[in-house]
Amino acid sequence: MGKPKVAICWLGSCGGCDETVVDINEVLLRVAGAVDIVLWPVAMDFKYDSIKGMRNSEIALSVVNGNVRNSEQEEIAKLLREKSQLILAFGACACLGGTPGLANLAAKSDIFKWVYRDAPTVVNPRGNYPQTSCRVNGEELTLPEFYGRVYPLNAIIDVDYYLPGCPPPPYLVMYALSAAVENKLPAKGSTLAPHRALCDSCKRNKSKPDRMLIREIKRIHEVEADPDVCFLTQGIICLGPATRDGCGESCMNINIPCRGCFGPVEGVQDSGAKFVSTMASIVDAESDEDMARIVNQMIDPVGYLYRFLLPSSILQKEG
Amino acid sequence: MSKYKPKLVCFSCKFSWGYLANEEALSREIENWVPVICTGKIDATHMLEAFKAGADGILILGCAEGSCHYQDGNYEAKKRVYLLRSLLESFGIEKERIRMKLSTDPEGKGIRELVENMKTDLARLGPAKKGSERPIKARGGKQYG
Amino acid sequence: MSKRITVNPITRLEGHGKIEVFLDDKGDVRDVYWQVVELRGFERFCIGRPVEELPRIMPNICGVCPTPHNMASVKALDDLYGVEPPPAAKLIRQLHYNAFLVEDHLLHFYILSSPDFVLGPTADPTDRNIVGVVRKVGLDIGSKMIEVRKRCRDIVRHIASKPAHPEGGLPGGVSSGITEEDRKWMRETADLCVEFCQFSLQLFRQVVLDNREYLNLVLNDAYKLDTYYMGQVDEDKRLNFYEGKVRVVGPKGDEYALFNCHDYVDYIGEWVEPWTYIRLTHLRKIGWKGLNEGETTSLYRVGPLARLNVADGMLTPLAHKEFETMFAVLGSKPAHHTLAYHWARLIEALQAAEHMQRIARDPLLTSKDIRNMDLRLGKVGIGCVEAARGTLIHHYEADVDGRATKVNLIVATQHNAAPICLSVKKAAKEFIKGPQVREGFLNMVEMAFRAYDPCLGCATHALPGRMPLVVNLRDSEGSLLQTIQRV
Repeated sequence: MGKPKVAICWLGSCGGCDETVVDINEVLLRVAGAVDIVLWPVAMDFKYDSIKGMRNSEIALSVVNGNVRNSEQEEIAKLLREKSQLILAFGACACLGGTPGLANLAAKSDIFKWVYRDAPTVVNPRGNYPQTSCRVNGEELTLPEFYGRVYPLNAIIDVDYYLPGCPPPPYLVMYALSAAVENKLPAKGSTLAPHRALCDSCKRNKSKPDRMLIREIKRIHEVEADPDVCFLTQGIICLGPATRDGCGESCMNINIPCRGCFGPVEGVQDSGAKFVSTMASIVDAESDEDMARIVNQMIDPVGYLYRFLLPSSILQKEG
Repeated sequence: MSKYKPKLVCFSCKFSWGYLANEEALSREIENWVPVICTGKIDATHMLEAFKAGADGILILGCAEGSCHYQDGNYEAKKRVYLLRSLLESFGIEKERIRMKLSTDPEGKGIRELVENMKTDLARLGPAKKGSERPIKARGGKQYG
Repeated sequence: MSKRITVNPITRLEGHGKIEVFLDDKGDVRDVYWQVVELRGFERFCIGRPVEELPRIMPNICGVCPTPHNMASVKALDDLYGVEPPPAAKLIRQLHYNAFLVEDHLLHFYILSSPDFVLGPTADPTDRNIVGVVRKVGLDIGSKMIEVRKRCRDIVRHIASKPAHPEGGLPGGVSSGITEEDRKWMRETADLCVEFCQFSLQLFRQVVLDNREYLNLVLNDAYKLDTYYMGQVDEDKRLNFYEGKVRVVGPKGDEYALFNCHDYVDYIGEWVEPWTYIRLTHLRKIGWKGLNEGETTSLYRVGPLARLNVADGMLTPLAHKEFETMFAVLGSKPAHHTLAYHWARLIEALQAAEHMQRIARDPLLTSKDIRNMDLRLGKVGIGCVEAARGTLIHHYEADVDGRATKVNLIVATQHNAAPICLSVKKAAKEFIKGPQVREGFLNMVEMAFRAYDPCLGCATHALPGRMPLVVNLRDSEGSLLQTIQRV
C-alpha cells in the first residue's frame, strides 16, 4: 500500500484559496510527507490525463475550491468525484457559490453585451463575441462554454465535507487536512468549522443591550463606527447573528462588519432568510410609513444578505 | 392565460381567524391553508420555501393591530414581510406576491374570499418565476436538471 | 500538413488560460494564441450594489492580487465622493499596499524566476525549483523568504483583514488606525524587507549579471519586444504605485502621453476576438493594429519593466541607484528585454520596502485622524493604482443613493495579453525549427511567458518553481503526433 493520494484543485476561483493552503507551510510539509499529491494545478505538474487513467475512488481526498460556471469546470468536478473517495468543498465559492455567485443576478447575455460591446473602452467594429469554437487562419480554436449561471459544487457533484470562508483561515485548513490524514473526520456532510454563530464569539457581544432596537440603518461609510460596540446596535448591518463562527473575527478586528463569508450556522441552509428575521426583529418602527422608511434604508438586501451564498439560497438552489 | 390557476399559500393566526369554524371543513375548502399559532411564528424561511415549492403568492392573516395574543407577534411578522418583500424583488419576485392583512374573523367566513381575491390579482401578474428563470433568463447556457 | 501545439492550462487571470501554437507545413511557427478561458462578469453583477461595498467585493477578482483591487476600488470611491483621505489614512493605505507588493514581488522572484537563473535554464528540471535554489544559496534564504512573506501578510491582515481577501478601506479613509505598539513591529518588518530586497538584488547581480551566458540570454533578441509602455508616475515623473498620472512612452522612449486616469477611455481601447474571453487592450488613438510590434504597433506593456521604462526615476534613493544601474547595463531606455522584468521587479520591491520604512517612521502614521467624513456623492469615480502586474483602473458610476450603475475595469494582465502572445510566438520561432519540438522549447517559452507574471496563481505559489507544461503536438486532423511533458 502506498501513501493515500490527494488532489487539490481549483474551478471557478480567484486563487486566494490556494494561497491559503500555501500559508500553512509547516503543516503542508507534514501532510505532503504523509500523502501523495497527485494533482495541484497551481503548484505542481498538471496531469488531468493521469487522473483520467486512474481507477475509480483511487484518490483518497480531493480538495476542491471555486464554483462551477463553465463546461470545463463541470468536467473536472465530475472527473474528480469519480476518482475520489472523499470530496472536500474548500472555501466560500465551492461551498456556497461565493461573491462571483452574485453573477446570478445578471443574465449571461447582459454580461456579454457589456463586456464585449457596451463598456466604454470596447473597440469592436466587427461585433466579435468569444465563441466556444471558431476558426482563425484556418485553424480551430476552442473555449469552454460559459454557463448561464454559477453553481456551488454540490449542485454538480456529491460533496462529503465543507470548509467555508473567503478564504478559510489557516488554522481550520490545518485542522481539516490533519483530520483527513489521521482518519479523524466527523460524519459525512459535516462542515469542518464551529457550529455556533459569529456573535457567540464576538468581543463586541457584551455591548449588546437587553433589547436591541434600531431606528436607522446606516451604511459603513456614513458613520465612524465605535470599535467596541456591536455593529447592529449602532444600526450598521452585520451578518454575525446568521453567520457561522470560525473566521477569527478578522473583519471585526479592523472595525468592519461581517458580510457572511462563512455561510449559515449549523443546520441552516439559507442564512439570508434567517437574517431577515433577525433584522426585522430589531427594527423599531412607529408606523407603517416608519417601517417602510427604515427597511428601505437597507438599500441592497440581496447584496448584503447573499453576498457569498446566492447560488445556494433557497430560491436559487435547484433540487 | 385563462386556464392559469395561481397557487396561493395562506397562513392565518388561530387566535383571530376561524377559531370558531370547523377547521377540517375549512381546510377542505381552502387549498394550501396553514393555520398557525401566531403570525410571529412564520419565519422568512417558510415563505421562501413556499415560493420554492411553487407558490405564486402568500397571504398572511394576523390579529388586528395591538391585539396579538402574544403581545406583538403580528407586528414582528409585518416587519419581516416588509423586509422580505424588498429582498424578493432582487430575486425577480414581485412585492405584490406577499400580502398581509391584520384583522379578526372568528368564523373564518372571509378567509376564502380574501384568498380568491388575491388569486385573481395573482392571475393578472402571471406565474412567479421559478428555479432557473429566477432571476435570469439564461440564453444558451446549459441548465442542470 | 499543419500542426498544433496546445500548452494547457497554465494561466490565471480571471481564471485559467492556455496557449495554442500553430506550425506550418515545414514545422515552423505560424501563429501563437494565448487564450483566457474564463469570464466571471464582475462588471455586471456589481451593478446595484452600494458603492461602499465594492472594495469588499472586487478583491475576489483575484486572490493572488487582491490588494490592488481593493485599493483601486477605494480610490474610485474617494473620487466618487470628492474626498481626500487625511494624511494618516493615506499612510496606512500605502503601508498596506507596499507590504503587499514586497511580498508578491519577492515571492514571484524566489519561487518562479530564481530557479531559472540561480540554477540555470538548462539545469535538471527535478532540481530546478525553490528547493534547488535553497540548496545552492543556503537554507537561510528559504526561511527568510517565508518570514518576510508572513510578516508582510501580518501587516495586510492588521490593516485590511484577510490577505487573500482584504475587506478594509472606506471612501475618505480607512476603518482602523495604527498604534505606537503596532508601529514597532511594522518598523521591524520594513527594515527586514529592505535588507532582504537588497540581498535579493545582490543575488541577482551575482548570478545573472556576473555570468556572461545568462546576461546574453536576457539580451537575446528572442526575448525582446518593441512596444509602448504604460505606468503611473508622480509630479517629478518618479514611479508611484499609489497615485499620480499615467504616462505612456513609445518604443523609442519618447513620451507618447501623460494623462489623468479620468481620461483613460480616450487612451485605452479593448479589442474583442472570438478566440479568447479576455479583451485585448491597445492604444486607442493609434487603433487596433493586430498582434505586432515595432513602430506600427498599438500594443503597450505594463508591469515592472514597463513602469521603470516610463519613469524618470524611483521614489526612494536605494531603488533609484539600482534603476540607474539596470539601464546602464541594458544599454537603452526603454529596455525591450522581456527577461529584464525580473530585474525591474526586484528594484520595485526595494522601492516598496524603502517606502514602508519611511511610512513606518512617519510621526503621522499613528494619528487618530483616519477618516474624512466630508463626503459629497458625485456621479463618477475612477481609481487607478499600479498593481503588481501593471496599471489597474476601476471606473464606477452611481445613482443618487450611491448604488453602482456602471462598472468598468481595466485589469493589469489584460494590457499584457497581446504582448504575451507575441513574446511566446517569438520565443517559439527561435526554438522550434523543423518538425521536431525540442525539450528546450518548453523552458524557453516558459521563461518568455513567466517574465510577465501574468497574474497566474502559479506566479505566487508554484511550489516546485516551474510552470507545469504538457505540449501536445497534433496534425491538422487533430491526431496526436507527440507529447512532451515536463515532469
